[in-house]
Amino acid sequence: MTRPRPYANPYYCGVGLGLVLLGAYALAGRGLGASGAFASGASLLVATVDPGRASANPYFANYLADGGPAGDWLVFEICGVIIGGIVSAALAGRVRFGIDRGPSATPRARLVAAAGGGAIMGVGAMLARGCTSGQALTGGALLSVGSWLFMGALFVAGFAAAQLLKRLWQ
Amino acid sequence: MSAARILGATALALGVAAPFAGARPAAERTPGAIDTAALARMVAAQEDHVSALQLARWIRDRRAGLRVIDVRSPAEFARFSIPTAENMPIEHIPGAHFRDDETVVLYSEGGAHAAQAWVFLKAAGVRNVMFVAGGLGDWFDEVMNPVVPAAPSPAEAAQVADVTELSTYFGGTPRAAPAGGAAPAAAADRDTANLIASARRRGC
Amino acid sequence: MSGGLFLALLIGIAFGAALEQAGLGNARKLAGQFYLTDFTVLKVMLSAILTAMLGTFWLGRFGLIDAGRIYVPETYLWPQLVGGLIFGVGFALAGLCPGTACVSAGSGRLDGLAVVGGIFAGVLGAGLAFPMLETFYRSGARGVVTLPVLTGLPAGVVVLVIVVAALGLFQAVAWHEQRARHE
Repeated sequence: MTRPRPYANPYYCGVGLGLVLLGAYALAGRGLGASGAFASGASLLVATVDPGRASANPYFANYLADGGPAGDWLVFEICGVIIGGIVSAALAGRVRFGIDRGPSATPRARLVAAAGGGAIMGVGAMLARGCTSGQALTGGALLSVGSWLFMGALFVAGFAAAQLLKRLWQ
Repeated sequence: MSAARILGATALALGVAAPFAGARPAAERTPGAIDTAALARMVAAQEDHVSALQLARWIRDRRAGLRVIDVRSPAEFARFSIPTAENMPIEHIPGAHFRDDETVVLYSEGGAHAAQAWVFLKAAGVRNVMFVAGGLGDWFDEVMNPVVPAAPSPAEAAQVADVTELSTYFGGTPRAAPAGGAAPAAAADRDTANLIASARRRGC
Repeated sequence: MSGGLFLALLIGIAFGAALEQAGLGNARKLAGQFYLTDFTVLKVMLSAILTAMLGTFWLGRFGLIDAGRIYVPETYLWPQLVGGLIFGVGFALAGLCPGTACVSAGSGRLDGLAVVGGIFAGVLGAGLAFPMLETFYRSGARGVVTLPVLTGLPAGVVVLVIVVAALGLFQAVAWHEQRARHE
């Protein structure tokens, strides 16, 4: 395995990301997203296990309409994100099976926090109709009030929560 | 100068120039223009409104993409609202944006404000928007307290069963058609309906 | 696969690559933002927002794109405020967001995979609880409201304020990082 290359300049990556976002606006009439793809997947799961419940639940029914996940823009986009991440990591020698964790956190603690934090984010993203990609980035660049509100709240809460989670990361 | 500094300077230049950019090109200004001929045709063809009964069926059947919009004030909305309705007072309507795959149904107390909101949204280019013609008045008359014949004929039976089931679903009570044929005053029924509805929202 | 969906795939690939190149597929790096030891998150996010915002504004001004046809997320005051707070707590715990978690998992990180699984479970649970959440979920609906509309300021002025604020923040971070290097 090649030695890991250093990370690229974050400003260049940001501008690159912004150009991708701009391209999405111009070519697809919409911006990026991530949590919506998870909602699509969840809808599919519920529909497979309990079709009646899925169609009776307006939240899931919404994602199942118009061909469901097989026709969902975000599902294809998130597949692209995974591919792009893998290719970029492989080319930079950064593919490594392991766990990224703070110096004093055990692997088990890290994994529990990861899953728990993920679940909490899932709830937040459901309520806000998006996450950092869909709301903060996409809605932020389009100056949507709700998106800026979401972004502000998330960073305030994140900084506050981090103070209580020092053992996890420091 | 490093590349990052050049990018920053470019951003600053573009940002400083932004307030002096002037008016957007004509294409941007068309939202808000009203094609009255097209709208008048829709009104004449009755494509602009939907019955309260139809709305009730759509809500019960969890129609995908349905958005029920109450254009009254927040205070009125808090007193009573159609289940699943979102409150968007009429002054916020011009800024509202809906997707092409959504079905927007507007309602107000008697229907006038909802009809006006319909014009605003059509002018903004919303594809599927309708309003409940008689507003909440129709909702109470057709859904909450529909008049059903006491002894329906076989031909009417299926329809009566459907209306009764729909009414019960929303917590209403059908009333029998009086012998004289005159419609009873709706006011007392409406207060009862309000009480039932608020009890259901808050629970026992 | 239709053309539109293939485009989505391509856009996603570029998105994922940009995130990974910046190092945002690494939870420790991301979490460093909350301890002000690593400012990658701020630099990437704000640079992206500035680029897309200025791009949309100027291309729209010259009629090269029709800004009116871009889908702008609707504003729901209370769910987005509360959802943001909740999301922030989860973010500090997980160290990754939905997009970066996918990149992390793709790079072979087990914690990234755990975050992905967690998000799925969270969205599933919230969706199943929808009947209870519905009223709150639909509250504060304002349709599409942008900062210029809210403040009454012209869009160009709002753009300038954001550009100046972001660049100011970048400069402050640069000074902070310079001081930290010399300690």
